[in-house]
Amino acid sequence: MQMDVAEADGITLVKLDGRFDIAGAQTVDLRFSALSGSCAALVVDLTKVPFLASMGVRTLMLSAKTILRRGHRMAVCGPDENVEKVLRSTGFDEIVDIYPDFPSAAAAWARAKA
Amino acid sequence: MSALRSQTRSRDFRGSIEAAKDAEAWVVEECASLGLAARVEFAIGLCLEELFVNAVMHGRAGKATISIWTESERAHVEFVDDGDPFDPCCAPVKRIQGPTDDFDIGGYGAGLLRKFVRSMSYRREGQINRVVLEFDEDMTADPITLSAT
Repeated sequence: MQMDVAEADGITLVKLDGRFDIAGAQTVDLRFSALSGSCAALVVDLTKVPFLASMGVRTLMLSAKTILRRGHRMAVCGPDENVEKVLRSTGFDEIVDIYPDFPSAAAAWARAKA
Repeated sequence: MSALRSQTRSRDFRGSIEAAKDAEAWVVEECASLGLAARVEFAIGLCLEELFVNAVMHGRAGKATISIWTESERAHVEFVDDGDPFDPCCAPVKRIQGPTDDFDIGGYGAGLLRKFVRSMSYRREGQINRVVLEFDEDMTADPITLSAT
């Protein structure tokens, strides 16, 4: 699992590339934990994640819990049909918005701020 | 997929998270060799990760065996472990309800299993759990079938 981090318009964008299985989750857990404790707005781009299972969901939920409890925001973008079905099956979409791509997420947050 | 039953691919694993990672890689290879659709491979991988991690982390399983075959246009997966009794057919389904920061990090596996399998059966045989899962490409055609004996 490859994890790239960038800043854009005050938003921390995490781009993941690879299977978000046990091995993938172990690869990114520490960096997610550190980011969640420091960033103010986090978007996780899942466009290049072809597989998501329990341990990956756990990583995303831990991140969401840390960020939301700090009073900040998190979103995910670009999940394919199967990955989105996993997220919605757990109710993750109740706590974190899902967007088709990063510009959509950034635009929605900009509108909310205005 | 053919209506005939394919050769069964089977492998034993130790009961550990490291072995669960090996199992995930093996399952990807076997699904590809059986020519399963990406959607079916996704569902199998998801369900097996859930069963394997649960057996190791909560059931104290020391070993597990995974078998995969196709029959009658469907993929079948059997997961056997020697952990504590656990019937996924009866496990409570949990889902986050509404916006909140007070939610559990885990415990969503039973709900995921039921969303991605066509049918699921469970039997406790002596000291082992035996779960058989059935998958097909159209996961929305019929409600899933759960059975425990």
